[in-house]
Amino acid sequence: MRADDPHLKRLTPPTLTISEKFFLPQIAAGLAVTAKHMFGVVFKDKAFTVQYPEQQEIQVGQPVNLRTSAVYRGVHRLNKDEQGRVKCVACMLCATACPAHCIDIVGATAPETWPDREKYCESFVIDELRCIYCGMCEEACPVEAIELTGLYDLTGLSREQMIFDKTKLLSVFDVTKEGEPMRFGQPPRPEITPPTALAAPDTTATNP
Amino acid sequence: MATIIINGQEHTLPEGEKLNAIQMAKRVGVDIPYYCWHPALSVVANCRMCEIEVGSKDPKTGEIKMIPKLVPGCQTPAKDLTVIVTDSAKVKEHQRMIMEFLLINHPLDCPVCDQAGECGLQDYSYEYGQSNHRFIEERIVNPRKDVSSAIQLNQDRCIMCTRCVRFTREISQTGELQVMNRGNHAEIDVFPGHPVDNPLAGNVVDLCPVGALLDKDFLHKQRAWFLSKHDSVCTRCSTGCNISAEENRGQLWRFKPRFNPQVNDYWICDEGRYSYKAANDPALLSAMYLRQNNDLQPAPIDQALKTVGETLGRIAAAGDITAGVLSPFLTVEEAYLMASYIKGLNAANILALGPVPTQGHDRTFTPDQVKGRNGDTSFIVPRPFTIHAEKCPNRKGVEAILEHFQGEVITWGDFEGRAALGDFKAAYVASDAIDPWIDNERAASLRSKVEYLVVQDTTVTPLAERADVVLAGATFAEKAGCYVNANGRLQYSEAALPPRDGSLPDLDVFAILLHRAGGPVRSQEILAELAEAVPAFRAVAGGRVPEFGVSITEPARVGVAPFPFNDPWNESRVQVGAKNA
Repeated sequence: MRADDPHLKRLTPPTLTISEKFFLPQIAAGLAVTAKHMFGVVFKDKAFTVQYPEQQEIQVGQPVNLRTSAVYRGVHRLNKDEQGRVKCVACMLCATACPAHCIDIVGATAPETWPDREKYCESFVIDELRCIYCGMCEEACPVEAIELTGLYDLTGLSREQMIFDKTKLLSVFDVTKEGEPMRFGQPPRPEITPPTALAAPDTTATNP
Repeated sequence: MATIIINGQEHTLPEGEKLNAIQMAKRVGVDIPYYCWHPALSVVANCRMCEIEVGSKDPKTGEIKMIPKLVPGCQTPAKDLTVIVTDSAKVKEHQRMIMEFLLINHPLDCPVCDQAGECGLQDYSYEYGQSNHRFIEERIVNPRKDVSSAIQLNQDRCIMCTRCVRFTREISQTGELQVMNRGNHAEIDVFPGHPVDNPLAGNVVDLCPVGALLDKDFLHKQRAWFLSKHDSVCTRCSTGCNISAEENRGQLWRFKPRFNPQVNDYWICDEGRYSYKAANDPALLSAMYLRQNNDLQPAPIDQALKTVGETLGRIAAAGDITAGVLSPFLTVEEAYLMASYIKGLNAANILALGPVPTQGHDRTFTPDQVKGRNGDTSFIVPRPFTIHAEKCPNRKGVEAILEHFQGEVITWGDFEGRAALGDFKAAYVASDAIDPWIDNERAASLRSKVEYLVVQDTTVTPLAERADVVLAGATFAEKAGCYVNANGRLQYSEAALPPRDGSLPDLDVFAILLHRAGGPVRSQEILAELAEAVPAFRAVAGGRVPEFGVSITEPARVGVAPFPFNDPWNESRVQVGAKNA
């Protein structure tokens, strides 16, 4: 756009009054908000923060935070179908959509005993360190095989531990399927997941 | 000169060219969609996708008379004063209906279909189709079947264009594939016990505009959009077929043919198609080796090259003879630099041609313009396709260079004979051959007759095991350069892969030995030097190689250059999600 474009709308900043020019009333108003919150934390127990990691349980009635949000994007899982087989058909659309190039899939012809399937994933590896948790993979998946769970406390002692293979991604499904049912072919998952269901052993997801 | 009116615009077609409406429209940038038509096959007009409005203009009155019904573009010759309309509402509605019709029974399995990304149905569905599907009845589901040990047929994806059937009838002339049953039940199949196993069978997979015919070797391995394509030349035989070498993550995944009317038309043979595997071999030489304490020890590249340079220099200074063996797998640029190096050390040094592998007999497929075809075949230019018995890409090119440097070509047999007499103090053998090329016995006898032996190769051969220095060279996929095929046509081949760890492309090896200044060497600058130095290579002055190559044995023919034509769904060179992980 050129500087002399007729569509350009020029705005002038509002002129300040004398008290505004001193800034002191504004500073006082800001400090009042801070004091109000300090008062709330100390006397009324209205803290927004929790003592993580000691305190992980969220009290019912507290504002929705990361832990209880149904749309939080945490560790990936690979969904299984009714027969316990991996749903992934190795179309590699998630790997194509992935902006971080963190998904590596080796496709193979499905076994003869799977008549409904032509292709499946022989290996499925996600580098959780490289991942930016954007959720493009679950967007791209045509068979709802990959989903991001609410698990957020993803830790590990080495880089190798953070590279999740197919077995580990399937085990994430096993520990989260109760609290976060699959979004496809099953009732939609609740807006707020009960915290008790999510108290599943997080260690399964981080330790091999 | 003919005048053709396409969508109201007048275009001219030079005298002597015979094109149909699809080709003519494509030349001026108008796309007419098609499936069943192929420039090398007879016209059947059974997909109905290319139907357009056609008419003619009266030369005297200028009045335009249109044919009332739509006409297949593939059957419409681009004659003088032909009027073609491709963008009318009538044509567009027809294209939409044909797309809906073709997709009635087509499964929606693009995510697991190998053709996805280079599929005619996908592309045209997007451009000419509709987003909804009105067919609510059960789709016909046909089982997968094998039409040969290398090719799988998913019949439910087939649109019955019969390109594959026409290929086996008209080009390979073996006729294995046919249409069985009629109407809604029509399917492609083979007779029991007669699989599609002719030497050109793999081409039916490339011809298939949809994902019905699939190469089992490539099945479910990669998605088309991950592959980077490199314009390369097949080194499996001396035909020098133009190929597109497709690579991802430092590995070759497949070869596909590239059109060259002077060499391979639209085809490649199966032997060449699957020869890509040699470049992925994990046993390729991954380091240079020096003999120390009677054992070959891995050595850094610079140390190995320095040792070779110093030792050969000392031998030359003492007035002794070094023999250089140039295999027919070297590019002309490599052969030129190696010959300059060996002859530069000592003018009395000898250059010999490496072993030329042969296997069986030449086999030529000669499609006829009329025989075995149907309909109007006057548009088809039948071109023979030969699979040569000589299984190396560049014998003629290396021979031309040897003749320039020493006036004669010493064959491998003569070289072995002279070596057995003890004529040579040292030997420098550059091979890069694909198959094993020397046995233990011959390697031992050659070794015992020379004092110093340098072997430059890509695999561990019996000769390399006995050498004083082993230099790891580049495979056909890792080197860029020119090859001269059996008909004397020089063609440029792009490198598809970077050099392996521990190896150095042969061109760089020779450039370092020659102490060439000016940083990493490029094949084009060597080719330009070669064209100036060797009269036989005058045709590539400046290092410029035309698209279809250039003949170095016969003068350039003046005439209409064939117009390259590729199926639109194969043309896309867009690469999505290229991986560097």
